[in-house]
Amino acid sequence: MSRRYLYLLSALVIMAVIASCAPVPTAPAPEAPAAAPASAEQPAAEGAPVTLTWGFWGSPEEKASHERVAEEYMKTHPNVKFEYFFAPWDEYFTTLKTRWAGDPASIPDVLFLWPTPSYAATGVLENLQPYIEKSGYDLSDYWPYLLDSARYEGSVYGLPRDIEAHALYYNKKLFDEAGLAYPTDDWTWDDLVAAAEKLTKRDGDRVTQYALGMEGGKWALWVGQAGGIMLDDLTNPSKCTLDTPEAMKGLQFFYDLMDKGYAMRSATLGQQGGDAAVFETGQVAMIIQNSSRVPVFNANSNLDYDVAAVPVMAGGKRYDFNGGAAWVISARSDNKEAAWEFLSWLQSKGGGESMYTRNGEIFPALRSVANSDDFLASPKPANRKAFLLAAEAAQPGGFAYFPEWDELSGSIIGPQLDRLWAGEATPAEVVPELCKAVNQFLVNNGYPK
Amino acid sequence: MEHEGPKGVKDTKHETREVRGREGISTGPSRLRASRASAPSALRDPEPRNPAYERRLRWYRWQRRYEGYFFLAPNITGFLLFTAFPVIASLALSMFRWDLLTPPVYVGAAQFRELLFTDPQFARVALNTFYFTFGTVPLRVILSLALALALNQGLRGTTAYRVVYFMPVVTSLVAAALVFQWIFNGNFGILNTFLRNLGDLFGLRISPPDWLNSTRWSMPAVMILNLWKNVGFTMVIYLAGLQAVPQELYEAAEVDGGGAWAKFRHITLPMVSPTTFFVVIMSLIWAFQVFEEAYIMTKGGPAFATTTLVYYIYLNAFRWSRMGKAAALAWLLFAVIFIFTFFQVRMQRRWVHYEAERE
Amino acid sequence: MLQPGRIALHVVLIAGGFFMLAPLLWMLSTSLKEPGDIFIYPPQWIPDPVVWQNYLKTVSIMPFGRFYFNSVVQAAGVTVLQLLTSSLAAFAFARLRFRGRDLLFLLYLGTMMIPFPVTMIPNFIVVRLLGWIDTFKALILPPAFSAFSTFLLRQYFLSLPIELDDAAYVDGASSFRIWWQILLPLTGPAVATLAIFTFLGQWNNFLWPLIVTNSEHMRTLPVGLAAFQGQYRVEWHLLMAGSVIALVPVLAIYIIGQKWFVRGITLTGMGGR
Repeated sequence: MSRRYLYLLSALVIMAVIASCAPVPTAPAPEAPAAAPASAEQPAAEGAPVTLTWGFWGSPEEKASHERVAEEYMKTHPNVKFEYFFAPWDEYFTTLKTRWAGDPASIPDVLFLWPTPSYAATGVLENLQPYIEKSGYDLSDYWPYLLDSARYEGSVYGLPRDIEAHALYYNKKLFDEAGLAYPTDDWTWDDLVAAAEKLTKRDGDRVTQYALGMEGGKWALWVGQAGGIMLDDLTNPSKCTLDTPEAMKGLQFFYDLMDKGYAMRSATLGQQGGDAAVFETGQVAMIIQNSSRVPVFNANSNLDYDVAAVPVMAGGKRYDFNGGAAWVISARSDNKEAAWEFLSWLQSKGGGESMYTRNGEIFPALRSVANSDDFLASPKPANRKAFLLAAEAAQPGGFAYFPEWDELSGSIIGPQLDRLWAGEATPAEVVPELCKAVNQFLVNNGYPK
Repeated sequence: MEHEGPKGVKDTKHETREVRGREGISTGPSRLRASRASAPSALRDPEPRNPAYERRLRWYRWQRRYEGYFFLAPNITGFLLFTAFPVIASLALSMFRWDLLTPPVYVGAAQFRELLFTDPQFARVALNTFYFTFGTVPLRVILSLALALALNQGLRGTTAYRVVYFMPVVTSLVAAALVFQWIFNGNFGILNTFLRNLGDLFGLRISPPDWLNSTRWSMPAVMILNLWKNVGFTMVIYLAGLQAVPQELYEAAEVDGGGAWAKFRHITLPMVSPTTFFVVIMSLIWAFQVFEEAYIMTKGGPAFATTTLVYYIYLNAFRWSRMGKAAALAWLLFAVIFIFTFFQVRMQRRWVHYEAERE
Repeated sequence: MLQPGRIALHVVLIAGGFFMLAPLLWMLSTSLKEPGDIFIYPPQWIPDPVVWQNYLKTVSIMPFGRFYFNSVVQAAGVTVLQLLTSSLAAFAFARLRFRGRDLLFLLYLGTMMIPFPVTMIPNFIVVRLLGWIDTFKALILPPAFSAFSTFLLRQYFLSLPIELDDAAYVDGASSFRIWWQILLPLTGPAVATLAIFTFLGQWNNFLWPLIVTNSEHMRTLPVGLAAFQGQYRVEWHLLMAGSVIALVPVLAIYIIGQKWFVRGITLTGMGGR
């Protein structure tokens, strides 16, 4: 064995040692000891000791944020302890479904889930309606229509944490360079196109700076603004309605934005690290996205940006599609009462919802939180009320609420519309075929019921 | 050089190589082998009717018959529990409708009928899979054999080359796929920048494809990623296989005045054929089961252009709550791979040369 | 020795090598960038500034040491077990004669043709029934009995001359001794190859460890790294830094291990000729 390999080996060992001595992660270490004595001092806590398992997905930062929320709750509920069930977004559902299939008892008591109706239909979720009625929990504080995304057969099965309220983010520097006035809340499609023409820079046939970055999956925004919708009924559909003139108009508008080189194509957007990355690096001057980008952009001191309401079709109504993952309780939970108590705190002003909102992670599902300092106090972006406009106007339309929706969207609607966003076919070519396939799918699955 | 382990072993190796070498040249790679001694010499010429001998013989025969199972036992226990059982369970599942959340419902062969005749995506997905398989496997086998041969020549810097070509194998696929997304970017990606510059060099104005945005080019992009990632893997298998080719064969061929091509054609190729057999079968199995490249780099898109069978299985099983359908798909895939493998196994007598052919 | 053929070979190998390395260099470069610099155009190959902090951040954002340790234990455990059991089985398949041998071998081959997503749940159920969830047993034992390794080693055993066994049998050796003292030492290159493959496969194995572990202290490196790919955002710089760290040990093992494939060459005096 030559000396070189001994060096390599020892380098490995040293790396392992360094790695294991590295500072232990953020939240639990410093706070756990502080929390423990506090709970011990509480004389005779009201409830019996309970351990709640809490499941969610996300990045390490998001996980830390959930843990801070749990710690806050334990301050007032010293009898409750938490265990976490955590997986990255893509594999969260795979892991969860494997557990449901193979070991249902190990399903967490409280879960972050999407889409709620599909799961509710199988009976694995606790119907929250009785708890809501008993405790007088206020559903009217939710944005209009938002709870539709968490209802099944008339009962609420989940409490949505946030709402997809979109706004137009714009890079002030690029607008200044182009000599353009900043977007306003009453911009129309025509204003957007006019500005896009000036913001798009080309080198021969290649675009080097795009006006707009927007995920193809958000097409329902334009369709809805034009007065269209994808299915005649979102819970019990009988046919595809993307072939109506209204819906076609919305699709055509989005198609044209990409076709003319104003908007970055969907796949390109993904390859470039997503809309946040292309916006931060100035490859696009505007993006249309929900409020989840705010903390990211605020952390970038080189980026001077603001938001405005999403442009509306001239003569059309403001529209946004709603939706948002919801907190649910497992039907197999042994601690349903404690889980509900936690849930009703989590989804309340002054509770978890306020904490997430202050973090800038979410645009709250609760109107009282959105209209409070929890959301409005932050100075950047200055025009953050644009998100409120979107939430007010939010309606169903981005997602449907029957169990096979994921499959319909993933196997037919999404892939067919991909051809538009890839520029390989026009709406007039794609939509008739698409609607035929959707209708066939509905028949095969026994819709309308 | 290095310490070589037990002396005796090394000697044995040398000896057999020489023996085999001489033999190999005189008879060519053939199966002419001394038939295997059926019993230890001590037992072969016994005095008849010796009870001690009879006992030993019985023990010996018993041992010959059953020792195979003992050798298999450790592996097969785990194999049955963790591989065979789940595989059989999936066969059963293929006849149920199961959303993973509620108890399965028996539907029988209807599942397969539905899949084959009414599923709108099945044909597309199957075609994609074949396209991928036959687009990558031949290239993979040829490239990796060529690389292994090149790196077996004792070139200067061979070690460095070996490391460089193996590095993609070591890289995490997630990171690699994300980097390739960026490489394939139509506007800014380095691949297209490189292609454009190459075009300029020859005075051509080429406009390379927008790889991942195109239903036509996204699958070739996935293939390139797959080859990049895996050629090093099969190369190493070949490198190991090449070590079993006795050097003396080449020396003898040189004496006979054989050129490089003749040596490759008549010595190397037959002598690595068991490795080739292995590489071809495994590459086919892996290619038919390709999944992660598309899952990470293209999410199966655009417009299903890179959705392979196993990705489709994954989608059905875990996204769309159709575990039974997923299992049925898996068994259809099994049938396809099995046919190909069976064909390979049948054909191997024609081209695979085993030193130690039993029977 | 300057032969035109050799020079041409070098040129081809270097060109190919560049193609192989470029994505990795990009990974390395990305791992040292500020998030805002990753996607600027034209691409920046040399990071400016060079942010070594990314590595520190990657290591400190999760219990990296623990994940690293779990990964080493898992990958090493599977490798050792697999080499041992597979080489025994491969020996039986290649060298011994017993009833049902070919059928069993076909069964081994056949199971490789069923993709993982559909066997995962039954597999999970077995592990749960055994009560192994969240233990090293669940991480190590299910992947330790591989049909692939058995197949690879069988093929290699088949390429070794049968006279070796015959001579040993004549000398009265048992099959076990033939496996252990004669064939196994000769299998060096194949075993080394397989060890690397197995270690590598487990080192990057992601879905299974995620599914059979609950608690953070049982998680492995790939599971930790996957968290950098969020629902909305990929933390590219951290993901790449983590991937580079994860790549180093396996690469080191390969560099050490590749000595073994060269062994045969130097033995017969082919090297450098």
